[in-house]
Amino acid sequence: MNTIINSGVVFNIQYYSIHDGSGIRTLVFLKGCPLRCEWCSNPESQSLKPEVIVLVNRCIGCGNCIKICSEQAIVNTIEGNIINRNKCIACGKCTEVCNAGALQIKGKFYTVDDLLEQVMEDAIFYEYSGGGITLSGGEPFFQADFTYSLLRTCKESRLNTAVETCGFVPYETIERCLPYLDSILYDIKHLDTDIHKQFTGADNLIILENVRKLAKTDVNLIIRVPVIPGINDSNNNLIRTAEFVKELGLKELYLLPYHSLGVRKYSQLGRKYKLNINPPTVERINEIKEILIDSKLNIYIGG
Amino acid sequence: MKVTARINKLKRKVVSTPKAICAERAFLVTESYKETEGEPMIIRRAKAFQKVLNEMSIYIGEGELIVGNHASSCNKVPVFPETGALWVEEQLDSFTKRSLNRYLITEKEKDILKKILPYWKGKTVLEIAPKLLPEETKAVFEQVYPVISPTLFLRNGVGHLVPNYKVVLENGFEGIKSEVIEKLNNLDASRPGNIKKMQFYRSILIVSDAASNFAERYSRLAEKLAAEEKDLVRKEELEEIAKVCRRVPKMPATTFHEALQSFFFLQLLIHIETDGLAESPGRFDQYMYPFLKKDLQEKKLDIEKAQELLDCTWLKMNEINKLSDVPPTTKYFGGVSMTQNIIIGGIDENGDDITNELSYMCLEADAHIRLPQPSLSIRIHSGSPENFLLKTVELIKKGGGKPAIFNDEIIVPALMNDGISLADARNYGIVGCVEPISSGNANGWTNAAMFNLAKCLELALHNGVCQLSGKKIGLSTGEAREFNNFEQVKDAFVKQVAYFIKHMVIMLNTWDQVHMELLPTPFVSAFVDGCIDKGQDLVEGGAKFNYTGPQGIGLADVADSLTAIKTLVFENKILTMEELISALENDFEGQENLRLLLRNKAPKYGNGDLLPDLMAREVGVIYCREIEKYWNPRGGKYRPGLFPVASNVPLGGVVGALPNGRKKGLPLADGISPVHGCDVNGPTAVIRSVARVNHAQATNGTLLNLKFHPSALKDERDLKKLISLIRVFASLKLMHVQFNVVSADDLRKAQQDPENNRDLMVRVAGYSAMFVDLDKKMQDDIIDRTEFML
Ligand code: SF4
Ligand code: SF4
Repeated sequence: MNTIINSGVVFNIQYYSIHDGSGIRTLVFLKGCPLRCEWCSNPESQSLKPEVIVLVNRCIGCGNCIKICSEQAIVNTIEGNIINRNKCIACGKCTEVCNAGALQIKGKFYTVDDLLEQVMEDAIFYEYSGGGITLSGGEPFFQADFTYSLLRTCKESRLNTAVETCGFVPYETIERCLPYLDSILYDIKHLDTDIHKQFTGADNLIILENVRKLAKTDVNLIIRVPVIPGINDSNNNLIRTAEFVKELGLKELYLLPYHSLGVRKYSQLGRKYKLNINPPTVERINEIKEILIDSKLNIYIGG
Repeated sequence: MKVTARINKLKRKVVSTPKAICAERAFLVTESYKETEGEPMIIRRAKAFQKVLNEMSIYIGEGELIVGNHASSCNKVPVFPETGALWVEEQLDSFTKRSLNRYLITEKEKDILKKILPYWKGKTVLEIAPKLLPEETKAVFEQVYPVISPTLFLRNGVGHLVPNYKVVLENGFEGIKSEVIEKLNNLDASRPGNIKKMQFYRSILIVSDAASNFAERYSRLAEKLAAEEKDLVRKEELEEIAKVCRRVPKMPATTFHEALQSFFFLQLLIHIETDGLAESPGRFDQYMYPFLKKDLQEKKLDIEKAQELLDCTWLKMNEINKLSDVPPTTKYFGGVSMTQNIIIGGIDENGDDITNELSYMCLEADAHIRLPQPSLSIRIHSGSPENFLLKTVELIKKGGGKPAIFNDEIIVPALMNDGISLADARNYGIVGCVEPISSGNANGWTNAAMFNLAKCLELALHNGVCQLSGKKIGLSTGEAREFNNFEQVKDAFVKQVAYFIKHMVIMLNTWDQVHMELLPTPFVSAFVDGCIDKGQDLVEGGAKFNYTGPQGIGLADVADSLTAIKTLVFENKILTMEELISALENDFEGQENLRLLLRNKAPKYGNGDLLPDLMAREVGVIYCREIEKYWNPRGGKYRPGLFPVASNVPLGGVVGALPNGRKKGLPLADGISPVHGCDVNGPTAVIRSVARVNHAQATNGTLLNLKFHPSALKDERDLKKLISLIRVFASLKLMHVQFNVVSADDLRKAQQDPENNRDLMVRVAGYSAMFVDLDKKMQDDIIDRTEFML
C-alpha cells in the first residue's frame, strides 16, 4: 500500500516563502486538484497534466513556436497566439524556442531526489529560522504516492515539513503521511454543503470529517479560511466557522483575504475567469476581526 | 521615546531651507593664500584654516543645543577654490538653473566669487595634475566613453576617513598640543627630513588653536544671547552652551553634552578644512558611550535628555553640505550625499559583542530624524544580540534603506589579510558607503575611481574599438569573430582589464602626488594615528595605514555576458561568434529575438545557479588580482572594491550592447547585486549566489542591494524571518547588504508629487538620498529594480 512513487509533477518552487508556516520555507507547488474553486489563484495547478501558458504581451511574433509545433496546436490570431488545448500534447518544444518567454510550460516531472536537492539549496535558511518545506498546489495529496515519498524523504533529511491541503481526499492518504508531517495548513472554505458544492464543485462532508480526525492527532493543525466576498464572507458563515474551529480544540484561525493576482492566469491558460468581485477592503477585514472577537480565537490575517 | 517638539521644529528648518552658496570661506581662504605666498604649503594651509575659523560668520539657531555652522546661514554651502575654482567658475551660472541639486546664489556673492576665482588659475589639482600624465595615459584619461572615471579626487578634496575622534574627546586640543610641543622639543633639526617635520608640527599647533578659538567664539555668542534672552529656560540652555563651548574641543570632554559638542565641532571642521566626502565618524557608539554612561550613573542626565541631545547631533550632521559638481554636460548624477558613516554594534578587540545602550539610541535617533545623514550602519556577527537585530529590522521596515549591514565575520579576516593586526581589524569602521577600514589610523582613498569592467568586455569583443565612438581606444586583443573557444574571449577581457588598470594607477598616483604638494590637511592629521608619530601630514602618508581603493563596476553584466557566450556559443552552439558580434555592433537592431535569446536562455547570476555564480566570482578575482599588484606614493597598497556609488547608471551610459542582452547605454547592475530583473528566485537565492563572490578579496568593499516590498515586512513574525535572513547572510560571509523597503507605486507617486514626498529616502547604491532629488532616469532605475513581492 505504501508504494514509493519517485516522480511527480511540480509547477513551481518558491524560495523565501514566509507566509506559509514557521520560519523561512520553500513552497513546492504540485499539480492536480480535486476541487475547482472559482476564486482559485493558481488555475495552472488544477489539472494534473503539464500545460503551456501564453503571455501574450511578451510575444514578439517571431513565429518560432508555430514552426516547431508538430501538432499544429498554435494559431496566430489578432489576439496573439492561441493554443488549441485539444491538440496540444504539452511536449514543451514551443517553450524552448520562445526566447521571449511568452510561452512557458507549467508542470515538470521531478524525481524525489532532484526535488529535494532543489529544496535543500536553502537548508541554511531553514536552520536559522526554523523553516522547511511546504507542499502546496493544487492539492498535494492528489499526487498521493509522490507526496508520501517526498515527505518521507524530507523527514529523513530532518526537514520541517508542512502541507497546504483542501482536505478533499481520502483520510488514509493523509494519515499515512502523518509520521512525516509537522504541520498541516487546512483550508475550510464554507460550512454550508450546498454553497460549497456550488463554488468548488464538491461538497464539504469529507473535508469536515477529515479535519475532525486530524484534530485528534498530534500534527500541528492550522485552519485557514479564504475570505471571498459574496461567497463565504457572511458574518453567519464566519461565526459558524470560528465555532467549528473552536470545537476542534484549536486556538487560532487564519483569514486569507481574496486577491485578484491570479486572474490574468486564466486567459494565459485559455480559460475564462467566472468571478467578478473585488478584494475585501481593509475596513471589512477589521470588521470581521471584530465580529470574531467573541470566539476567543487568535485571528490572523494572511498566512 | 517620542520625538520632542524642539527636534521637530529644528528638522522643519533643515528640510525647508533651500540650499544656497556662501562665498565667505572662498573669500577668506583666498585672502590668506595671498598673504602667505612663499611660505611652506602646510603652514599656508594651516593659516588659511585659521583665518576662516577666526573670521567666518557664526550663529546659534533658535532652540539649538548642539551648535556650529558650516557657512553663513542654515543650508548654505561653502566654496573650496583650492580644489574647485575651475569647475565652480564654469558652473557659476548654472547652479541656480539646475533641476536637481540646485543652489541659490545672490548677485553679491557671485561677484565676490568672480573676483577671487581668477587668483586660482593654474593653481588647482584639476589644472596641474592631468598635465603631468604620460601621453598614452593622457589619451586614456581624455576618452569620451571612458573605462575609467577617476575624477572625484581630481575635482575635490579627498576625505574618506575615519579619524580618531576619541583622542580629541579624551585629551582635547590642549593635549594634542602638548604632545606636539614635546615632539618639537625633542626633534633633532640637524637630521635630514626633520625640517619638514617641524613645519608639520607647527601647522598642528596653528590648527589646534584655531579650533579652540572657534569654539570660544560660540561660547561668547551664547553668553551674549543668554544675556538678551527673556525665556528663562532658553536662557539656561544658552548658558550651558556657553559653558560647553568654552571647554571643548580645547579640553577633554567631561559630560555627554560636551562630548557630543566636541564631536560635532570636529565633524564640522573637517568639512571646513577640505571638501572631501565620506568623512566618517566610525564607531560612534563606542567612543561616546563612556560619557553617556558616566552621566547616567551620576544622574547628571536623564535618558530622554540624552536622546534629545543625540537627535540634535543627528540633525546637525544634515546641515553639513557640499556644492555638488555637476558639469553642465552631465546627464546623470545621484544627489550629493555626504555619507558621514556612523557604524554601531559589532565586536571589540577581544571578540566580545559591544552593543550598548547608545547603540540602541543611535537607531532611535535615526528613526526620529529620518534624513540622509548620518549614513547609519550596523555591524553584525554570529553573536549579535537578537534585540539589536530586531531594532535594526524595525528601522529597515520604515524604509529609506537604513541601516546598512556589515559583516564582522568576513571583514575582520579580510582586513587582516591586508596586513592589519587582529585588534585593528576588529575595530574597523566604514568609510562612506561600504568601505571597511581600520578605525582612526588609515588614509584609504577608498573611492579613488570607478573602473568599468563592462566597458572592458565591450572592448575585448570588438578588438579594442569603442562601440559608441567607433574609435580604437583599447588594446588590440584580436577579432572576436574568429575566436573559437571561450578561453580566447576571457583572455581578451583579462588583457583589456590589465591595460586599463595600469593607466588608472598612473592617473591616481599622479593625483596623489599633487595632493601631497598642494593640499596638506593639518587639521584632520592632528587626530589620525600615525601622523604625529611620524611627523607627517596625511597627504604625505602620515597615517599608520595607507591605501588607494578603486572600484570595479559591472560585475554581474560581465558575468552574465561571459556565461551567455560560454553556453550559447561554445557549448550549445545555438549562436556563432560572428552572429553575436554583428548583433552587438548593431545594438541588436532588428534582432530582438537574438537579444531575448541571450537574455532569457542563458543562466543568470543571482539565482543560485553555479555556472553564472562562479563566473561572477572569476570576474571579481580577475579585477582584484590585477589591482592588488600596485602601490601608491604614500607607501600603501591598492585595494580593490566592487561597488558603484550611484554610478551604475552613468557608467552604463558609456557601454555598448552586451552579450547578456543589455542594449547600449542602459544602466549596469548595482555593485555585486544581480542584473536588475534577472534575479527571479528571491532573496535567499540572491544571497546564495552573492556568497560565491570572493568578498574577502575585495577589501575596499562590496555592495548588495535587496529591495523588499512592504508586504514582506508586515508584522513581527515577518521581521523575525528577516532577522534569520540577516543571520544567514552573516554566516555565509557576505560583506554588506542593505534593504530598500518601498513599493514601486510609492516611488511613482513620489515622482509625480515631489513636494509631498521630501521625507522619502532611498539608497542609491550605498548611500541614502532624497528620492525626489534624483534625476528621472535614476528614479526610473530604482523603480525597475527587482522587487521581491512576497
Ligand atoms: S507544447 Fe508541444 S504540442 Fe503543445 S503547443 Fe507547444 S509545441 Fe505544440
Ligand atoms: S516563439 Fe514566442 S515570441 Fe515567437 S511567436 Fe511564438 S510565442 Fe511569440
